[in-house]
Formats: sequence, C-alpha cells, structure tokens
Amino acid sequence: MTHSSSSLHTFGRGGIHPGPHKEATASREIEDLPAPSEVVLPLLQHLGEPAEPCVKKGEMVRRGQKIAEGGKTGVPLHAPISGKVKPVDKRPHPTMAIAPSMAIGANAEAGPELEFPEDPEWRNLPLEEALSRVREAGIVGLGGAAFPTWRKLEFARAAKVDLLVMNGAECEPYLTSDYRVMLAWPTEIVEGSVLIAKIAGAKKVQIGVESDKPDAIEATTKAAAALTQREIPVEVVPCEARYPQGAEKQLVFAVSGRTVPARQLPSAVGVLVQNVATAHAVYEALRFRKPLLDRILTVTGPGIVQPRNVRAPLGASLADIVEFCGGIKPETNRMVAGGPMMGRALPRLDVPLIKGMNGLVMLTGRGPLEDGFGPCIRCGRCLDACPLGLEPDQVSVRVEVGRTLDCEPHGALDCYECGCCSYVCPSSRPLVQFMQVAKSALRRAAATRSAS
Amino acid sequence: MSENNPTFVLSPGPHLHTEESTSKIMWWVNGSLAPAVLWGVFVFGFNAALVVLASIAGAVLTEFASQKALGRRPTLTDGSAVCTGLLLALTVNPNLPAWQAFLGAMFAIGLGKMIFGGLGFNLFNPALLGRAFLMATFPLNMTSGWAMPRPWFGAPLDAVTTATPLAVLKEQGIEAAVQLVTSPAGLWNALALGFRPGSIGEVSLVLVALGGGILLARRIITLAIPLSVLAGVALSTLHTGVPLLHLMSGGLWIGAFYMATDYVTSPSTTRAQIAFGLLIGLLTGIIRVYGGYPEGICYAILIANAMAPALDLWFRPRRAAIAGSPS
Ligand code: SF4
Ligand code: SF4
Repeated sequence: MTHSSSSLHTFGRGGIHPGPHKEATASREIEDLPAPSEVVLPLLQHLGEPAEPCVKKGEMVRRGQKIAEGGKTGVPLHAPISGKVKPVDKRPHPTMAIAPSMAIGANAEAGPELEFPEDPEWRNLPLEEALSRVREAGIVGLGGAAFPTWRKLEFARAAKVDLLVMNGAECEPYLTSDYRVMLAWPTEIVEGSVLIAKIAGAKKVQIGVESDKPDAIEATTKAAAALTQREIPVEVVPCEARYPQGAEKQLVFAVSGRTVPARQLPSAVGVLVQNVATAHAVYEALRFRKPLLDRILTVTGPGIVQPRNVRAPLGASLADIVEFCGGIKPETNRMVAGGPMMGRALPRLDVPLIKGMNGLVMLTGRGPLEDGFGPCIRCGRCLDACPLGLEPDQVSVRVEVGRTLDCEPHGALDCYECGCCSYVCPSSRPLVQFMQVAKSALRRAAATRSAS
Repeated sequence: MSENNPTFVLSPGPHLHTEESTSKIMWWVNGSLAPAVLWGVFVFGFNAALVVLASIAGAVLTEFASQKALGRRPTLTDGSAVCTGLLLALTVNPNLPAWQAFLGAMFAIGLGKMIFGGLGFNLFNPALLGRAFLMATFPLNMTSGWAMPRPWFGAPLDAVTTATPLAVLKEQGIEAAVQLVTSPAGLWNALALGFRPGSIGEVSLVLVALGGGILLARRIITLAIPLSVLAGVALSTLHTGVPLLHLMSGGLWIGAFYMATDYVTSPSTTRAQIAFGLLIGLLTGIIRVYGGYPEGICYAILIANAMAPALDLWFRPRRAAIAGSPS
C-alpha cells in the first residue's frame, strides 16, 4: 500500500498510513435513500447567521423551492422533499445537541419537484450572476467545513488567486463518497471546476486524487481531455495515499509545490481549494439553477450491516439512512459522523443529515481511550507522525502537570487536530486533546493579557 | 435499534488507533533478546540460567511490590520490568551468585525506575543503574572469576579466573588478547560466536545483532543511535590501532542496540539521537583507552542518559513551513 513516493505527489513530513478500510463501499454505486417521511433543516448549518424562514407553517412546498433566506453572510435553504412545512422548533442536532430547525412532512399534495431547465448561456454567465447562482443554490463546502462557497469564491477573487486546487484526495479512512462522486460525474466535476475557476479568477485547475483510486484518476483525466472549452487547463494530479493528504495546505503543496506560509490561507500563495463534490453542486447551480438538495455520504464501518454510498435528501434522519443500510450490528460501540480520524462521535441517530456530513462510520471493538492511557514512554512516534513538526509529547507531559502556559514553544497553537499523533502513540495518549487543552489555555491567557 | 436504547461511546477522535502498544513493543524487545540469552545460558551453563531467572524475578517482584505499596495499578504485563531484568542479566558475569543478581534487579527497578514515578519518568537506564550498583557493591564477583565457556554437554572448559578479552587487552596488550580469544577458536570467530569469557549476553555478537535486526525490521528502533554509537567508538579508538577489536567486543552491541535505544532514557528526534549516540561512543572509547575500566559502555550510556532531555530540547523537530492556521 505504501508507494514509493518518488513518482507521486505528496506532502513534506509526517503523516500516517492508517489503512484505507475502503473496500466495503469502494465498489458500490451511489444508491438513493427511499423518500423519507420527514426532513429536518437546522437554520444554522454553517458559520454565520441563521437562515430566515420565508414560508409559513402549514404551507405546501415543492422539492427545490426556497424556504429560508440566507441573509448577508449565509446561504438560503431549500425544500429537499415536497411536503407540508412544520413549525420552527428546537430539534436534536448532530453537533450542537439541540438547535432551532424547520421541518417538512412529506405530502403528495405538495406536488412534484420543481423543474430546473438548462440555461444555454451557462458557460458564459457574467461574474455577478454566476456568484449569485452559487449563493442562491445554498452551496457550502461539501468536504466537511460547510463554509458558504460564494463567500470563499468572493474572497479568493479579491485575493487574486491564479490556481484552483480541487480536493479529490479523500484521505480519511473508510470514506468513499468523493470517490464515487468522481466516478459518477467526472464531466460535471471538471466542468464545475472550470466554472469555479472562472468565478475566482484562477487561470488553471489541478485536481488532486490519491493514487489508490486509479479509476477516479482515469475518469477525471478523460473528462478533462474531452473539455470543449480550453481557456482554463485542467490537470489531474495523482497523489500518494497518505493521511492527511487532503488537508488544505498539504494538498496545495503536493499538487502545486507551493508552500502556504504559517498562519495564512492558501490564497496567500494564489490558491483556492475546493472539494470535488462542491464542484458538482456548482455545475448544477450554474447550468440548471438547481439548488443543493441532496448529499452523498458513505455509511460504513464494521458495525453497519450493509455498507453503502447513499444519496439522501438533506435533513433526512440519520436513523432512516442507517436503516436503509440494514441497521447497525449489536456490537457497534461508536458512531462517527465524518471520517474516523477527524469526525465526531454521535450520541444518537435521531438527528438530521447536514450539508457537511460526508460519512457515517459505525465502529466496533473498544475505542482508543476506553482502557485509559499510559505515560509517555518518549518513543518519538508522535514527533515523526506530526505533519506540522509540532511536539505533542512535550505538550502532553506539560499539560499533565498543569504547565499549560509553557506549551507554546512546542506548537500547541499551531495544531490543526489531524490526529496523526494520537493514532501512533503506543501509550494511547489522547494527544490531540492535550493539544486542545493547551491551545485554549494559551488563547485565554492571551485574551486576558490584551484585555488588561 | 432504538427500542432497547443502546448507549454509544462518545470518545474524542481520532477513532482509529495503531495496533502498536507499549506492551507489544516491550515483549518484542524481550523476544528479540531470547536467542542471545539462550545461547549465553547454553554456553555458560547452569549458573547463567539462575542469574537470568533471579534477575527477572527481582525486577518483576520489586515493581509489583512498589505498585502495591503505592496503591498504583500493577503494570507487570507491559513487559518492561521483565525487560529490565533480562537486560541486567545479560550484562553480568555468568558466575555471579544468583542472589546478587536478584539484589541488582531490585535496585534497578526500585531506585532506577519506581522512585522516579515508574515507566516513562526515569532519567537513567534502570538495567545499567542495576549493573553500576553491582559493580560498586560486589566488584569481585562482577569482574573476576569469569568463566570460560562451559557447555552443558561435554567437559567444562577450564580456567575459572580468566579475564575477558577487553580486560586482557587493557592490562596485557593486543597480543595477549588475541592469544586468549584464539584459544578455542579463531579471534573474530570467537567474538562472534561466543566461545570466550564474558558476560552472559555479550558473548555472541551475531545473536545480539540478530535481535537488533528484529527490532529494526519491526521499526521499534532505527539505526540512528546504534550506528552513531559504533561510529563514536571507532573514532575514539582509531589511534589504538585495534578499533575492530573494540567494535566487536564487550557489551558494546547490547549497549548500542538495546541499552542506548531505550525510549525513556534516550532522545526522541533523529538529530538528537545521533548526537546522543556519538557521545556514548566517544565516551566509551575514552573510558576504555584512558579510564580505569576495560568496558566503558555502561557508564557512557548513563552519562549520556542525563543529557537526553536537554538534547531533545536542543534538537527540536523542524517546524513545517506550513504549520499554523490563520487565527
Ligand atoms: S493533531 Fe496536532 S500535534 Fe497531532 S499530529 Fe496533528 S497537527 Fe500534529
Ligand atoms: S507517541 Fe506517545 S509515548 Fe511516544 S513520545 Fe509521543 S506521546 Fe510519548
């Protein structure tokens, strides 16, 4: 599985090979969740202000119809299914415990999905129009961050980026949703990337894909070669399969050789990074004015009866999605939303599917921390694994004795919580959490200092 | 599924973990030592077996007793006490009375490890502290009465008071050393296979190297420390004309592959490890050539141990240029 990295593009130091674990779903096509009886849409789906409902309770809405305005900084919400609007209420949320949400009960009387006819001018839209379609379609980063895409594009344009890097690395173990999206819609992704590049002002597109997905590399390469309009060249760059290849700065370095300086965004070196699934959504938004209604996610792990790649309407209950995949085995003891390296454990499944959720991984067996952790034996594995060259061992032993404020020289403020260090620690030390503790203590101390 | 309301673990990420664990690592170290130990016992006979067992027992019992006394969770299964016992046994005279080996192991674990707070907190290599204690307490039993190899089967080879090749080299010069080791077999052959006087584990370079090879292959250790120790010894003994004899003798290889690579008492970054290894190698050569002891690796490692934490802070990992998110 380890490739001689000489021929493949990759990042500099550190990283791990946690094993792909992708076999269960890699060869399965994307399957549609049977129409759910209800969807729940939290008004706050990303950073920024909450969406403002523009339909009343009891109103009938059709799939695709706008139901809430995004305000100055957010994106609007659309009805993912046809049905009757329920009152806004506090409902369970996957990451915020409970959040004010709209809901729609499926109802045949509401009528079919809205029609989204093609706009023949879709390739040549004026900039303002293109950007507003991205915004009106409710598109956010589908790689997990869920930041409104129109804002990122606007920012990239202002920062005068010249290169668009498409993230098709999917370096998280278990997940195959981006991979299946690349196989299902390679042309749409390539076209969508060109559309994004135009909006952002980039002159070139590079699509980074890990080398353990050769057919995705082939499909996107073919689609790029078949482009009829060629003013923006599209290149597919095979990268080493190594975690965290898909982390923004790592990927930018791997595919373009550009080093994003410390504490700066990729735009500092003229790069915008977008996820491949986002490109597909942008393509549909510009060509058909079709809003983001569904999300594709991988439902997998040893605890799921029938691992699948599922396309489900946003707001569908995770319980329904899991049910569609045969349910969970009794030995399941952790349910992770997202990938197993950076995802969050869920306490319950009666929560809605949100835009940024790319996977649901059911894990069995005892978790890394269930048997406690041991002392640091100074083996140095975490130092070798950290892609940033930080010192989680030094931070952890200082935090243990309450010296959190001595952790800054050892990198506590720079940690982006990729989890490589915790993964390799033979003493099962929760190094990411030690880094977090030190980071927030240092931030608090800095805040008090500047306040006084 | 929701009928019986199963509960799920809400541990923080990452939710995957390597198969490697501290105890697996320790047991691999112990296992990799087995060939050298068994050969040492075979070559030196019954008392060597007693010394090995007594040393392991002393280490394990001391760790257990002190954890009981302090109300800590016993950690015997992690294999590290067994490791200390084994390593100590390998560095002592096969003719050492077993009770002295037991005492040495008690000292190694009690004052070398538990008093610092247990695994991970000790500054010095516990096995080498145990050896230093034995050298100070029972110098005669430790340094004289070296047995010539006496295989279990067949007549014991004579000469109960033979000195080790390094001692002969130190006191009587190169010819005498060569003569000693050439008696049952050829010089290098003797050094490599163990038909010569010496401590239990040091007699077979081949088997110690085999064990080191296992640790390298399992990626438990890297070559950074062992190679730089050997390089340091070569550098500091070049002027004696017999660097090869120095390199192929004594407990050097056990020291380089097993003692100096002990995680807890050695530095963690590669650059610090190279500095650490060179320091050990140079000190070993200096002690051997100019110091009072024929073998210098034990004290060289103990001295370098004291510098390991400082070396880690001097040779910090290079921060990646991309480190740091916008805040
Ligand atoms: S979680 Fe932080 S300290 Fe650990 S490997 Fe990732 S960046 Fe480094
Ligand atoms: S990996 Fe764990 S035991 Fe090893 S140095 Fe890092 S924190 Fe210590």
